[in-house]
Amino acid sequence: MQGESDRPTDAAAASPTAAATAAAVPDETPRDVDVELLDRAPRVAAAFATGVATGWRRPGARGTLPARRLVLPGVHQDVSRLAEFCSVTGGLLGDTVPATWLHVLTFPLQVRLMAAQDFPFPMLGMVHVGNRMTVHRPVRVHEELTLSVRAERLAPHRKGSTVDVVGEVRVADDLVWEGRSTYLVRGDTPPGAPAPVEEGAPATEPEPGRQLALWRLPADLGRSYARVAGDANPIHLSALSAKAFGFPRAIAHGMWTHARVLAAVQPRLPRRYTVSAAFAKPILLPSTVVLLTGAQDLGDLTVTDRKGSRTHVSMQVSPLG
Amino acid sequence: MPDQLTDAVIVGGNRIPFGKAGGAYAAASNQAMLTATLDGLVARFGLAGERLGEVAAGAVLKHARDFNLTREAVLGSALAATTPAYDLQQACGTGLETVLQVANKIRLGQVDSGVAGGVDSASDAPIAVGEGLRKALLGASRARTPMARAKALAAVRPGDLAPETPRNAEPRTGLSMGEHQALTAREWGITREAQDELAAASHHRLAAAWDSGFFDDLATGFLRLTRDEGLRPDTSVDKLAALSPVFGKGEGATMTAGNSTPLSDGAALLLLGSPQWAAEHRLPALARFVDAEVAAVDYVSGDEGLLMAPAYAVPRLLARQGLTLDDIDRFEIHEAFASTVLATMAAWESEEFCTGRLGLDGPLGTVDRTRLNVHGSSLAAGHPFAATGGRIVATLAKTLHDLGPGSRGLISICAAGGQGVVAILEGC
Repeated sequence: MQGESDRPTDAAAASPTAAATAAAVPDETPRDVDVELLDRAPRVAAAFATGVATGWRRPGARGTLPARRLVLPGVHQDVSRLAEFCSVTGGLLGDTVPATWLHVLTFPLQVRLMAAQDFPFPMLGMVHVGNRMTVHRPVRVHEELTLSVRAERLAPHRKGSTVDVVGEVRVADDLVWEGRSTYLVRGDTPPGAPAPVEEGAPATEPEPGRQLALWRLPADLGRSYARVAGDANPIHLSALSAKAFGFPRAIAHGMWTHARVLAAVQPRLPRRYTVSAAFAKPILLPSTVVLLTGAQDLGDLTVTDRKGSRTHVSMQVSPLG
Repeated sequence: MPDQLTDAVIVGGNRIPFGKAGGAYAAASNQAMLTATLDGLVARFGLAGERLGEVAAGAVLKHARDFNLTREAVLGSALAATTPAYDLQQACGTGLETVLQVANKIRLGQVDSGVAGGVDSASDAPIAVGEGLRKALLGASRARTPMARAKALAAVRPGDLAPETPRNAEPRTGLSMGEHQALTAREWGITREAQDELAAASHHRLAAAWDSGFFDDLATGFLRLTRDEGLRPDTSVDKLAALSPVFGKGEGATMTAGNSTPLSDGAALLLLGSPQWAAEHRLPALARFVDAEVAAVDYVSGDEGLLMAPAYAVPRLLARQGLTLDDIDRFEIHEAFASTVLATMAAWESEEFCTGRLGLDGPLGTVDRTRLNVHGSSLAAGHPFAATGGRIVATLAKTLHDLGPGSRGLISICAAGGQGVVAILEGC
């Protein structure tokens, strides 16, 4: 699997400080001073409702990102829920948890941060376009975790602006996992814009290689994943609720596809790795999709329609030194 | 085909601590437990990316979707995807039977290495739909038009919706294994006190083995469990005596939940190889696989007890090897029920049984109780059916290795269907 160190986005993604400088974040507040300590996982539905109800009062790209970091210590992982997550995403319950499971654990904190009134964008309409995760070491299911989430890097995009929500998982003081979700907000671009950057997109379109798998995705996949992942965004739940947001049918969660791909290649994943994903065209449910691996690099993984003409997700897995 | 047989040695083993049904592994499938156990074995012996001769394993309670369970576990593990695998099932004899298969192939030179063992989940047992619903669903899947499909499904009656859970009962007699064993226990006059003593010893010895670190290189923790979930180090004959009988009826009933194995979840695997393969990979050899025998009895007609087949297999095996019970340094008799172990030993001490049933000149002999199940057995560890053979072989191989070269061990495992698988190992 090919390294990515020569890519311009890499330095920014690897270090939050570098990211803040490189992307010219309008907000100059020093990080790490403002911690909101949580005593239990936020309720997604309630946070979601707040976010929707207060969405019209957001300043958009002209606002600033909250400097707060949400921290939830003492998290015990629920084995039955993990088993269901593995089952829905085609994985196998094991002692070591999937990287995407740790994303799911941080998700309620993400929602709380984005729904809060000091977040500059309305939560509805934010599209998850990219994700980058680093597994610093395998995380075991019985380990007690400290989760944290913050927002950073408000950046221009050709269709509007992007904002990164960065999660971290620690075991005691060790940083074991990092995840950076890039959300696109259509509309005005922030001032003082440097060149747009799309997180997670491969440097060049990989040459299509062998087909590794074909998956028939049922119409209720969004509901099944929403149940285990806690992401009940209406665009995933039913054709009717998806239509209200401009999609002809329900669409698969990008992170479901991500988790399904990692589960498919799990036996040959490195012990420590970085995986980046660019979510391109949504998968309309029900659907049949295929997983392709790069002709040169087995770390290049692409999910397309059956003909290989529509790319849904492009991923790259790179071992960590 | 080589002119001379090569030896097959047990290099080592790996199991996950056994869980209680509905306990720590309630959410884990057979495939999940088998894959985790295989990956633990691969990690312990540095076999990542290796192509082994074969992996043989099985499960007794098996979902239809798990038809290629062992091969799927190999593909999900760190072993090379070019390692062949197959499933095997002989009820509680499954784990030991896979050892016979792999060891025999190694001895013949057909493979140089292999993994053997098994897995079972009583928590994630398959549930079949009733016969009426099953036939209606099959009819609907064959239907060519929506009308025909609706018609096929309309045949379903409310009573058809009750699921059929697997029962621990012999199909031909309708009796559960415990009910069968209660008949044998009564026939051999096995007392409640003797059963409870054996059960208490099993718990105390297994706890001592965990405490002393005996299992440090034989087990890997899984999903929060670091020791067998059913192990009760503080149990005693007095505590066991307070339990009410669950199998058998009336006055003479002696079998309780304390002296019968509980339903369990778990997996156990062994690594075997030729001595040359082990040396090339700089791996140890704990014990040599010497010989094995499988026997079956006619329990259907009531001629013999369901779990008495090992009483026949062991004398045949000893005779073939020119050995007596006194030549055995360690015995591993699977504790399906405390009374199974006691009835088997009583049979070998019985002149009537040994002359009448086995055709011997007199009693086979006595098992030295200080040599029996020295690190505890299934009553304390639990008994995930197909995983028990792997647990016992690994335990005995290490015990014999600790005793020194040439020490002999005998394994005896009874199985549903009136079968028994027994084997002899020799310490390296």
